[in-house]
Amino acid sequence: MTALPSIVFGLMLLSIFLLGVLTLRLAGRSRHQRTSIEQLNEALKRSREYAEQQKAKLAQRSDLDTVKDEFISTVSHELRTPLTSIRGALGLLSAGLLGNVDAKAQNLLRIASTNTERLIRLINDILDLERMDSGRAPLKLRRCSMFDLAREAVDTMTTMADGAGVRLELVCNAPRDAIYFDADSDRILQVMTNLLSNAIKFSPAASTVSVQIDADANSLLLKVVDEGRGIPADKLEAVFDRFQQVESSDASKKGGTGLGLAICRSIIQQHGGAIWAQPNQDGSGTTLWVQLSRSARASDAGTSSSLALPAERGEGLILVCDDDPGIRVVVAEQLRQHGYDIMEAGSGEEVIALANEQTAQAGLGRGTGEHAPAPGVSAILLDLHMPGVSGWEALQRLKESPATAAIPVVILSVIPPTDHPLRAGGPQGWVQKPFNENLLLAELGRVLRTHEGPGRILLVEEDGELANAIVVGFEEAGLRLDHARSLRQAVDRCLVGAPDLMILDLTLPDGDGFSLVDWLRRQPTLQALPLVVYSSREVSEVEMAKLRLGPTEFLDRAKVKPREVEELVLAMVRRLRNSTAAPAV
Amino acid sequence: MRQILIIDDEDDIREVAALSLEATAGWDITTACCGADGIRAAADPKHRPHAILMDVMMPGMDGPTTFRQMQLNPEIAGIPVLLLTAKVQGVDQRRFAGLGVAGVLFKPFDPLTLAAQISAALGWKD
Repeated sequence: MTALPSIVFGLMLLSIFLLGVLTLRLAGRSRHQRTSIEQLNEALKRSREYAEQQKAKLAQRSDLDTVKDEFISTVSHELRTPLTSIRGALGLLSAGLLGNVDAKAQNLLRIASTNTERLIRLINDILDLERMDSGRAPLKLRRCSMFDLAREAVDTMTTMADGAGVRLELVCNAPRDAIYFDADSDRILQVMTNLLSNAIKFSPAASTVSVQIDADANSLLLKVVDEGRGIPADKLEAVFDRFQQVESSDASKKGGTGLGLAICRSIIQQHGGAIWAQPNQDGSGTTLWVQLSRSARASDAGTSSSLALPAERGEGLILVCDDDPGIRVVVAEQLRQHGYDIMEAGSGEEVIALANEQTAQAGLGRGTGEHAPAPGVSAILLDLHMPGVSGWEALQRLKESPATAAIPVVILSVIPPTDHPLRAGGPQGWVQKPFNENLLLAELGRVLRTHEGPGRILLVEEDGELANAIVVGFEEAGLRLDHARSLRQAVDRCLVGAPDLMILDLTLPDGDGFSLVDWLRRQPTLQALPLVVYSSREVSEVEMAKLRLGPTEFLDRAKVKPREVEELVLAMVRRLRNSTAAPAV
Repeated sequence: MRQILIIDDEDDIREVAALSLEATAGWDITTACCGADGIRAAADPKHRPHAILMDVMMPGMDGPTTFRQMQLNPEIAGIPVLLLTAKVQGVDQRRFAGLGVAGVLFKPFDPLTLAAQISAALGWKD
């Protein structure tokens, strides 16, 4: 019986000891939390400064762009006006419509005419290149058939080919329904006719120029094969430079501007594809290769499940505003089938009232947490031409009112997207009528994805265990990560659908992070991709500069544990979202 | 015979365009060197044109303004107007297309096919 008091005493001692340990640990944790809060405050301050800088830069750039646009427009007009008179006068004279001229004079007129044509092409090409390089000729992406475009290009070039005695053939090695891709059709046509025109120009009479189409899961391949004189090995790359021709006399003999292939490369790069020249294997002639990914922006409507995401969540309320009840019904039905809730508005006034009403009702529900279903209106689909308050006016009023400014707006109009569709205060998306259901869903999905959650995060990490640890960290926060183990896999994932952020290890089995960043930098849609470099070795200043794309952070593996990556990445995502009014595309 | 009114502030372009349409299509051409003159010429009952080919950038009233003025005059509002412009940037093109004109043609035009382009834009078969 004497054992009992000593057991009680022992237990008391033990509890006191445990209590002490607990208190110490708690104190440690609160110290840890205090430093976290200080760090967060510091990060917040930095991000505000960053946002201010970006805003100032954007304003400055848009002013400059306006001046430059006006200048180009004026120069273009001023050069074309005198050329119009010259071309007209020479054309009428050399056609003999105003009486015959003798052979010598006729020859001089021909020289003057062809060189006028060359000058006109040159002006067009220079303006084209300038606009593309400055990024002021944004692509108007539509779902296109590679075959239809090639057919059109071949038809356009038939007259030229007939004149040169060259046979044109079109071969499609892929099923016709498997060659759809997102493209600016006018631009791709421009590339195709340019390549065909080159091929015909350098082909001997009675030879064949062949256009061939191939496809694999992610990309489409277009080949233009000629039997001409070929390109010397040392010029295969140089032909894509400006004013570079294989022989210096080509410009005058063949009537080219020396800018054609440079323009082609610009256009293909804007589409995120690649173009290159290769000698034919049998030693005669050249093949021009064009590789394009199927999906340039939104993920592939036909094969990918990412479009079904909003339907799975079933959380989106979409306001459909169009004065045409027929269009409202069609759009509403299509969206309902994909899990969206729909409210219809027949006028600008109505949509503004509805948006305010819904937002006010959901008002108290807002801010309940990062991952709670978004209350209120998820997005507004807006027609532009409406009686009364027009779409533009409605858009402006929605964006000016604090209650509705955050609701993404997608324009649904017969007007193609304007040249600056994504400025602050503008719409977040654009679908041109007549629209196809997939495009509408893709655009809506894209807009909603950029506005909710952190979007798609791609982890590029060779080490499987480490990757798992990072993935677990994200899963605990309710987020899924895409994981690529190699450079090749990372490129493939990016081609299937552009990620919104990438976590990158510098050591990869088939290359390194630097080459991946180099590739990303050449992709128009990825060159400003937010990047988190998570490396096991110290990264020098010079290396940091090489790795910087868009907003970039460097995490040292020795200091940041895999499980902590998630928190830092989410903070970065929040910061980015707050610093830009318009979504990054 | 088709009557066409050309409105352009550039003397040379008026002359070349007129010659081109006369020589290739045999149309009857009248010209005006500014928007206001153009409206007067179009309203002349003796020479009521079947179509108007009009420059965009002109001193005083520009092409789009002249077009809108024409729409206010019921006598000439029904005459199809084609804009002939040296502005080829996408923004400009969309702005013109939104005006309600019958078509937009571009400078420098081909003097041998200008008449065909006009016929095609207006759906003229002859």
